[in-house]
Amino acid sequence: MKAEASVQVNKKNVGNQILGKFATFTKSYAIILAIFILGIVFSFASPYFLTYNNLRNILQQTTALAIVVIGQAMIVTTGNFDMSLGQNVCLTSCICAWLIKFGGFNPWIAILAALLVGTSVGAFNGLLVAYGDIPAFIVTLGSQMIARGFAKIITKASPIPGMPEEIQFIGRGFIGGSKYGIPISVVIMLVLFLIFTVIMQRTKFGRNLYAIGGSSEAAYFAGINVKKHKALTFIIAGALCSVGSIILLTRLDSAALTNGNLYEFDSMISCIIGGISLTGGRGKLIQGLFGTIFLTLFFNGMTMLNVDPFVQDVLKGCVLIGAVVIDVVRNKKR
Amino acid sequence: MENNILVLNEVSKSFPGVKALDKVSFAVKEGTVHALVGENGAGKSTLIKILAGIYQAEEGTVAFDGEKVCFRTPYESQCKGLSVVHQELKLSETLSVTENIFMGNLMYKGKFVDWKGMRTKARELLDQYSMTMDVNEPVSNLSIAQKQMIEICKALNHKCRLLIMDEPSATLTEREQKIMFETVRKLRSNGVTIIYISHRLEEIFDLADNVTVLRDGKHIATMPVSDIDKHSLISMMVGREMVNEYPKEKFEVGETVLEVKNLCRKGVLNDISFSVHKGELIGIAGLVGSGRTELARAILGIDKIDSGEVLLYGKPVKVKNFRTAINHGCGLVPENRKSQGLVQIGSVNDNICMVNMDMFIHSGLINNKMQKETSREYVEKLNISTPSVETEVQYLSGGNQQKVVIAKWLLKGSNIIFLDEPTRGIDVGSKSEIYLLINDLIRHGKVVIMISSELPEILGMSDRILVMHEGTLKGELTREEATQEKILELCV
Repeated sequence: MKAEASVQVNKKNVGNQILGKFATFTKSYAIILAIFILGIVFSFASPYFLTYNNLRNILQQTTALAIVVIGQAMIVTTGNFDMSLGQNVCLTSCICAWLIKFGGFNPWIAILAALLVGTSVGAFNGLLVAYGDIPAFIVTLGSQMIARGFAKIITKASPIPGMPEEIQFIGRGFIGGSKYGIPISVVIMLVLFLIFTVIMQRTKFGRNLYAIGGSSEAAYFAGINVKKHKALTFIIAGALCSVGSIILLTRLDSAALTNGNLYEFDSMISCIIGGISLTGGRGKLIQGLFGTIFLTLFFNGMTMLNVDPFVQDVLKGCVLIGAVVIDVVRNKKR
Repeated sequence: MENNILVLNEVSKSFPGVKALDKVSFAVKEGTVHALVGENGAGKSTLIKILAGIYQAEEGTVAFDGEKVCFRTPYESQCKGLSVVHQELKLSETLSVTENIFMGNLMYKGKFVDWKGMRTKARELLDQYSMTMDVNEPVSNLSIAQKQMIEICKALNHKCRLLIMDEPSATLTEREQKIMFETVRKLRSNGVTIIYISHRLEEIFDLADNVTVLRDGKHIATMPVSDIDKHSLISMMVGREMVNEYPKEKFEVGETVLEVKNLCRKGVLNDISFSVHKGELIGIAGLVGSGRTELARAILGIDKIDSGEVLLYGKPVKVKNFRTAINHGCGLVPENRKSQGLVQIGSVNDNICMVNMDMFIHSGLINNKMQKETSREYVEKLNISTPSVETEVQYLSGGNQQKVVIAKWLLKGSNIIFLDEPTRGIDVGSKSEIYLLINDLIRHGKVVIMISSELPEILGMSDRILVMHEGTLKGELTREEATQEKILELCV
């Protein structure tokens, strides 16, 4: 029975397997290829493009969003998504800035407060989605609006500029000098990606998230506390938003209502283009990073080519739809 | 002279890496019930999908009523008179009976939809098959058996001449099955040809006139049912000699492992009490809806109970959720293997180790190597047919998938294992392996509680049989005294 059944399964499934592995390989690395192609295309448009400084700049621009992407990717892996990430970043930037500028607080205490606020927004989302059984779309849409409302109240709709020198290094500092060094924000981003990749691939918590994404029912029937895990993804995402927002705040040197704008969509697009499926249960965090780099590169290039910003908005919508279509087609092939 | 309503000639179909159908040729006579049997993966689904118009054959021809056909969509096949009642019913739950029967095929009076005409026609169709449901009833209120009838009426409404029924009895109770068989016979006497796919060979011998056996995508044989017996049929399906269908082994009965006292859940379970001893296989029989799964869920803490006690090894245990039950040594192989038993996109490795990850964690991180080695051990031990432990379980056959689920609880070391419909939808060969596995579990001192709707299985494997009826434990029978009739009597 064993030999025959093995042959039977092997005949049918080795083919599927090989194709499957090849497909996964190309899917995981397609985004890197896309980044290279984009880079080459843009380098024709401007000789300045492929310089170390410019590329380093672009990488710096990705940091805040990329850190938010870690959170979104974890949430997407469990089959949900978070619409409030952008305004979470906005709110935490504004609170931090306000506490420093108008509250007179020590900047490090303000940062701590911002982390707390970001995490609380995440907790709000997590508790309602996981334990209240309310669809993530609705809860995070609501918290998005609440967060923005608070941001407006705090800033009275005008930007809060000028962050103190002692924290400026977070968003603007370099390791190894400003000419050729690596931006501190990039280091923070890479360290966070490393930590969370290890969590996702090598800890029980991370593997449980993949199980839940594959089938939350099956995960439950394997004894996994599904609600707790789902809630935690939102809480972690909230915390990561606040980290990203501090980097953003210190890089832009100002907290405005535009901080973090549309990050929820950008993070979604980044995940999807990178290869993380919306249906959940699949995908590695690093794919999200590549997706973010691609996205930032793309729109950076657009600006360099003097494409009208409103046209860029249209393009962004198209990219989102394109990314989702690719995701659906990819899933159909399975 | 009988007419061949369907003739397949050298039909082939491949998918990447797999030859699903390999030059299949046979004919179906008009006005007969023609059974199609074969193990999972034999090619039955693919064949049906080609006939229905969901796939197209790469090679070979299909002739329907003497005419060569190649359906590109299900609509084309339905219009020609070929309909399929799928295993997963394709009805719109929120729409009414009438609307479902006329889906895609509405009646018009001029430019407007003729509701009155459709309701009348729907009523006629239902009456023809002694169905009493209201034509305006939303389909979601109907039982599975009734929904199946609606599917059949939908097909008949398309002037169906060939009806393909895919595992129609899988989700029906005994009583409903009998009614369905009557319907099939009536359809036949009305001139409808039926291709009947089922794993339940008793049905084939009861209902069918002819039978076609597929194996590994190839046509093995087509013959009148009267020319063959069950034993030979199984041999053809499986390609080898099958000795004992239910390999029961008796083991020494020991201490009381699980005791349930006066378990109550309002409206669902009424005062249930029983006990299970080491070395026993307890079978739980009953009609669909009698509360068997609910009983397991209540004992395992998945559902809350209103009153009653659960004692494990003599000590009362407060099972407040499923994790508590797991920690006390319980395991569950759920009814729905695909969505509850396994994470389909997860690997064999992921699934086997899912309950017991702690075993592989050193200083916070999972030891991947150790995990894979352990999975390989269990794949070997349970004879799971898979190219590697990294293969996604969705690519495994039903029987092998079920083995992965069982492996999961073996690895955890669970001592009280609940099996809910463990061999549903599994081919004959794998079924036998699962039974041997179950014997092994009991041999190693574990207790097995098996819920099943297949009476032969319950009779073949159980040491004691508990019969449920509408939430009450109606009766208990020992292996020696139990017969199909006795069980059925208690079921109703």
